Amino acid sequence: MGKLWAVIKREFLERVRTKWFIIVTIFGPVFFGVIMVLPAYLSVRGMKDVRVADIRIIDATTTGLGDRVATRLNGGPMGNAAATQVVVVAPGEVAAAESLATKDVMAKTRRGYLVVDSATIQEQKARYAGRNASSIREIEIIQDALRSALLGQRLEREGLDPKRVEDLTRVKISMSAERITDKGRGGSGIGSAIFGFLIAFLLYMMIVLYGQNILRGVLEEKTTRVAEVIVSSVSTDVLLAGKVIGVGAVGLLQQAVWLGSAVALYQLRMHIFTALGMPAMPNLPLPQMPPMLIVALVLFFILGYSLYAALFAAVGAMVSSQEDANQAAQPVIMLLVFSIIFAQPVMLNPTSRLAEIVSWIPFSAPVIMPMRMSAISIPWYELAGTLAGVAVTCAICVWLSARIYRVGLLMYGKRPTMRELARWIRQS
Amino acid sequence: MPELALELRGITKRFAEHVAVRELSLAVPRGSVYGLLGPNGAGKTTTIRMILNVIAPDSGSITVLGSPHLTPGLLDRLGYLPEERGLYKKMQVRRLLRFLAELKGVDGKTADRRITEWLERLSLKSPEKDWGNAKVDELSRGMQQKVQFIGTLLHDPDVVILDEPFSGLDPINAQALKDVVVELKRRGKTVVFSTHLMDNAERLCDSVCIIARGEKVLDGTVVGVKSEHHKLNVALSLGGDPSADVSAVLADRALVLKMDDNNRYFEIEMTAGGNPQLLLQRLVGAGAQVQRFELIQPSLHQIFLDRVGAAGVEEGMQGHG
Repeated sequence: MGKLWAVIKREFLERVRTKWFIIVTIFGPVFFGVIMVLPAYLSVRGMKDVRVADIRIIDATTTGLGDRVATRLNGGPMGNAAATQVVVVAPGEVAAAESLATKDVMAKTRRGYLVVDSATIQEQKARYAGRNASSIREIEIIQDALRSALLGQRLEREGLDPKRVEDLTRVKISMSAERITDKGRGGSGIGSAIFGFLIAFLLYMMIVLYGQNILRGVLEEKTTRVAEVIVSSVSTDVLLAGKVIGVGAVGLLQQAVWLGSAVALYQLRMHIFTALGMPAMPNLPLPQMPPMLIVALVLFFILGYSLYAALFAAVGAMVSSQEDANQAAQPVIMLLVFSIIFAQPVMLNPTSRLAEIVSWIPFSAPVIMPMRMSAISIPWYELAGTLAGVAVTCAICVWLSARIYRVGLLMYGKRPTMRELARWIRQS
Repeated sequence: MPELALELRGITKRFAEHVAVRELSLAVPRGSVYGLLGPNGAGKTTTIRMILNVIAPDSGSITVLGSPHLTPGLLDRLGYLPEERGLYKKMQVRRLLRFLAELKGVDGKTADRRITEWLERLSLKSPEKDWGNAKVDELSRGMQQKVQFIGTLLHDPDVVILDEPFSGLDPINAQALKDVVVELKRRGKTVVFSTHLMDNAERLCDSVCIIARGEKVLDGTVVGVKSEHHKLNVALSLGGDPSADVSAVLADRALVLKMDDNNRYFEIEMTAGGNPQLLLQRLVGAGAQVQRFELIQPSLHQIFLDRVGAAGVEEGMQGHG
């Protein structure tokens, strides 16, 4: 087995040493991290820009309503109430105060002004004018502050203690939303769906990237004619196995780095968000997976990768040039694309008939099943059945590919026809 | 210790359209330099690939160092330089060589030591520059050939098989290769090489096998093959261009059966009753300036042409010399 080890070592080390690998492995998590954090960061930054404190309140109510609104706009009694100007005027002087305020808004010393008067108290009507009148969010905040101030004033008038009023009217609501489909509640929540999709996507990426990597490796051995030296020392089966294992190990290393840094980022998210001045993200509960499922997941991972890796190796052995390779790899790539096309509908509805069907197709099961497994609980017989299907298909593909590989590795010239391929498989 | 390094018995290999090798049997004595000769497409490379188990024969048996060639571990005692040469282009030379050695079961430490020795010996490593640390595609073609040659020998094989080793070599590398072949023989190793260049074979080989169209034409020691050929040829060199009279003498079918005309040098095969002395008299009589007139054993090249015939000689044969 020393020779198999030598092949594995070469395939692994030569790939891990490339700049491409180092860059992708290290910058992948950074890239993903930025993609995940950036929108949240920007939206928080956007929230900060929602500034409504620097308005002027023209209070003609003679009840101190303006002050109440100002307190709420500035974040409660502890806030900086001075930021919001309150101009108390007699009912008759509103027009003059308004024209003065308009000038100030035009001169940008104020953002806008709010007029509250007796109509506000009697008919709940108020007027606002300002540069930010088209900002739904900002107007909403002002409206909220006014509503809550008015409510507080009414409660106090009914004899409630001002302190109690402050506590009672300060209500913040956080609402969670859950999806209900015609099959019932949509899975076990967003967290596990994201997790499942992540697993499926990682596997898909690994197969696409490293499957084609194997194809290129085989093609290189053919075009540089180094293949002949190697197969005079080791059998093509050992060479093929070494290649699949070695390249697979590269992929696993990369995924381990990625997953590891994802976990680390997750653990450190508090510090990161604090550093960026963002509120902590809602807790995404990672789904709890029983060990049996993790074993099944790993098996799907390994079998799925081996299946496609063998197919890509056979394609590499069939052709003699990169152009031919691109064409000959089409059918294999189609199988993969077919799997990922169904990933989204399956994620949205993991119990559907469609999801069940693509789970039983061995070429899509390695991508689809991990996703469903982490979203819903799958009956053991379905799990065992689909896994067995993938295993058998994998064995057949590896067997066929090994034979094509054996003959094809030393064949040059035009691509074989299907009939010639069949003869290769028979004769080796 | 078995007497034979290699023995092939009744080897046949068919491809889809044609028979590449038909009922081929040959025996390579241990410790000899053995030439597998034949025009392009004769089946030399197919034969060699079967010996190395790169492809399997349809029938027949192959014995290496006294054991069937599929015996586990036996291939590790063979070194192989394929006709189509190539290396991983992006790999560092040392790592590549260590990989090739490991494939033959050599441990890393031994491999490293031998790699340094060989790099120095073939002047790929000097105090100023160590090409072992360079990537393969930074090396010139000649240097890459040296690296490949080192890869063939790193595991100190008992039998070295070289497929068309001289094709594409510059004179300096060709000389280095010859030196190594001779040294391998001195150390008791067996060297088998295929070539269509008869002169190389004649100088280097102890024994030869000539094959054409997948079948053996003759085999045996070079001395034996030549003496079995019975005939003596005339080697003739002339000073200056032959006059018309001289040409007429050489064209006389009563004396000269065949002539290999190399402009100034002629290898002449006499007719069955032709007398070389009479030929010399007539040449001098015709005014030829004879610089050399010698009775020689026919060259392998002549024997080859004789036995295979012009029909068996394809475009590959212009490489004579």
